[in-house]
Amino acid sequence: MNEREPGIDRRQLLKGSLALGMASLLTPRVLRANDSSTVTLPFERGRRPLVAFPQKRPLMVMTTRPPQLETPFHIFNEDIFTPNDAFFVRWHLANIPREIDINTFRLTIRGRVKQSLTLGLHELQTQFEQVEIAAVCQCAGNSRGFFQPRVPGGQWGNGAMGNANWKGVRLRDLLQRAGIERDAVQVRFDGLDQPVAQATPDFRKSMSLPDALQAEMLVAHSMNGEALPLLNGFPLRLVVPGWYATYWVKMLNDIEVLNQADQNFWTSQAYRLPANPCHCVDPGDALTDTVPIGKMPVRSFITSLENGGTIPGGERCTIKGIAFDQGHGIDRVLFSVDGGQQWQSARLGKDFGDFSFRPWEAQFIPKPGHTYALQSLAINRIGESQRFGARWNPSGYLRNVVESVKIHAS
Amino acid sequence: MIPVWMFLLLLVGATGFAWGSPANGNDREQGSILNLPADPISFQPGPGNDLASRYCLMCHSAEYVYTQPPHPREHWIEIVNKMNASFGCPISDEDMTPLVDYLVTQNSLQPSPSAQHVQRDDLKETPGQSSTQSGDPQKGKTLYGRHCVTCHGPDGKGDGPIGQALVPPAANLTLLGKQSDQTILDTLRNGRPGTAMPAWKNDLNALELNHLLSFLRTLSP
Ligand code: HEC
Ligand code: HEC
Repeated sequence: MNEREPGIDRRQLLKGSLALGMASLLTPRVLRANDSSTVTLPFERGRRPLVAFPQKRPLMVMTTRPPQLETPFHIFNEDIFTPNDAFFVRWHLANIPREIDINTFRLTIRGRVKQSLTLGLHELQTQFEQVEIAAVCQCAGNSRGFFQPRVPGGQWGNGAMGNANWKGVRLRDLLQRAGIERDAVQVRFDGLDQPVAQATPDFRKSMSLPDALQAEMLVAHSMNGEALPLLNGFPLRLVVPGWYATYWVKMLNDIEVLNQADQNFWTSQAYRLPANPCHCVDPGDALTDTVPIGKMPVRSFITSLENGGTIPGGERCTIKGIAFDQGHGIDRVLFSVDGGQQWQSARLGKDFGDFSFRPWEAQFIPKPGHTYALQSLAINRIGESQRFGARWNPSGYLRNVVESVKIHAS
Repeated sequence: MIPVWMFLLLLVGATGFAWGSPANGNDREQGSILNLPADPISFQPGPGNDLASRYCLMCHSAEYVYTQPPHPREHWIEIVNKMNASFGCPISDEDMTPLVDYLVTQNSLQPSPSAQHVQRDDLKETPGQSSTQSGDPQKGKTLYGRHCVTCHGPDGKGDGPIGQALVPPAANLTLLGKQSDQTILDTLRNGRPGTAMPAWKNDLNALELNHLLSFLRTLSP
């Protein structure tokens, strides 16, 4: 190959598309890496080029190798289900398989089980009940760039999240088919991605057996009615509704039932929170006790307006947004135009399930020449609300403070 | 070159038809391919730049450093220690201080280079011009000693101190005999995505790459 370009080899593209007469369907996806613009996130070092990676529209590049791509925020205003080609991308290790042959691909279920299973995709699709669930997948470090003081780690804005309709088989059905041994305590998940140096721990994640047996946990083969994009974990991805994306292992090919707590780096040392109820510490304080990160606290966002924007004064203005939590479901969203002094109820939109984004809307009439601090506050069905003051921890996890969007009325 | 059947499958993935249709017995229509772009930037010139390229580019792109907010020096020491202790970045003791100095300096650059930073003039390629100038194996040897030896080893056998600890291991460069100049230059420019072989097009200009090529030619029998 003489010219390495992201996307599909052009000559192959031509051949294939002529053969199938589908050139128009595919051409928009073959964008060059260098004809792009940028988005600047509102924090230092926030400049992100927009580049189209394979099967993706131009997304904000945090890093190219391994790829970490953020969804531009306006996308969340356009669709409650984040389109596959706009869905954020986050890999830890650079050795991501370039090819997957779905005929030879196998998922194994092994370890403390009565009978190990080795399943092809066809078997997964035909021998088990097919289940669908709408769920938000949010990176543990989503919004890390907004931490003050700033912390190391991937400097995401708010776009390291997405909502999709996932379809696949229940993890529990797979585990039960294999038969769980009595001494089993945890389940560990591994995908096809590999480190480039032997000394780097392979990326694996584990959870307790009771968690793994929850009905909503899926091994998904499709996302919004299509095969998963490679960068989102084709051909199989663990779907862990309500939990942070670090558990949603991509290119999943190995499920191992353990009879002791996993010692793997990525569960035992990385992705840890301070072990106190707030999961926060004062900046500079050392972490002593830690617990693994797990479920997502409730959040909401205004999606229809950008911070610093202008709206016409004297006219009724409709504000749109989204809210989500870890699966209790959204009970109420409150909306404020004065930085949180007075609140009105927002109107909730269609309910796509407890793990999905929930759309909401509110209205107000801005006075010409005034500046407003718009805020939204979501409360879930067990009464948990967003925080008014941002919590801080050294890894930049769990941000769910009430966000503010400053708007000027012309 | 990818076989057409793989391409067909990508098309299936990209356009949203269900894959793996059980009724379809045609095995050859399955598979996918992912071509990722090469690193858009590398480490900026400055004292210690060669250490950063050598130690930090094998696992990830330089964007990991340039997207970081301004950090105090202690954070950079912590980050480098984590790369070493948790991930296996093999930094020698004497390189530690100059490396951290370099990272702290880069971290204070305003504005920091982004993936679209302006290329150094000498790295801009004028097609067909500098690339036709033939290289000097002596100069290539010096460049090799600075940039390649830790992985590929003194004789190019892939046995540098880091080379065998990589997955896949550093290639044996004495076996390049059959590859065309163009293929080798392409590997040097763009690296091998998914492996520790970095892309050099942001660090070395076309003439330097030609020097390296002519040195590599002296390695194979
Ligand atoms: C042996 C592989 C390896 C090498 C070599 C390496 N890194 Fe990393 N680096 C990693 C991994 C793995 C991560 C974490 C990836 C993740 O969580 O996404 C990382 C993450 C980072 C981050 C993000 C912040 C963080 O704490 O996660 C920075 C900054 C960074 N590396 C800097 C460096 C620098 C500077 C060097 C050179 C001294 C270097 N790395 C060399 C593997 C490596
Ligand atoms: C951090 C380690 C590392 C460094 C530094 C490095 N390489 Fe490599 N190189 C590799 C690895 C690993 C491979 C094997 C990739 C593969 O298997 O596809 C490789 C492959 C190659 C190949 C392709 C060999 C083949 O058989 O096709 C060439 C040519 C090459 N390197 C030249 C260089 C030169 C010249 C330099 C210095 C400018 C260099 N490399 C620096 C790790 C490195």
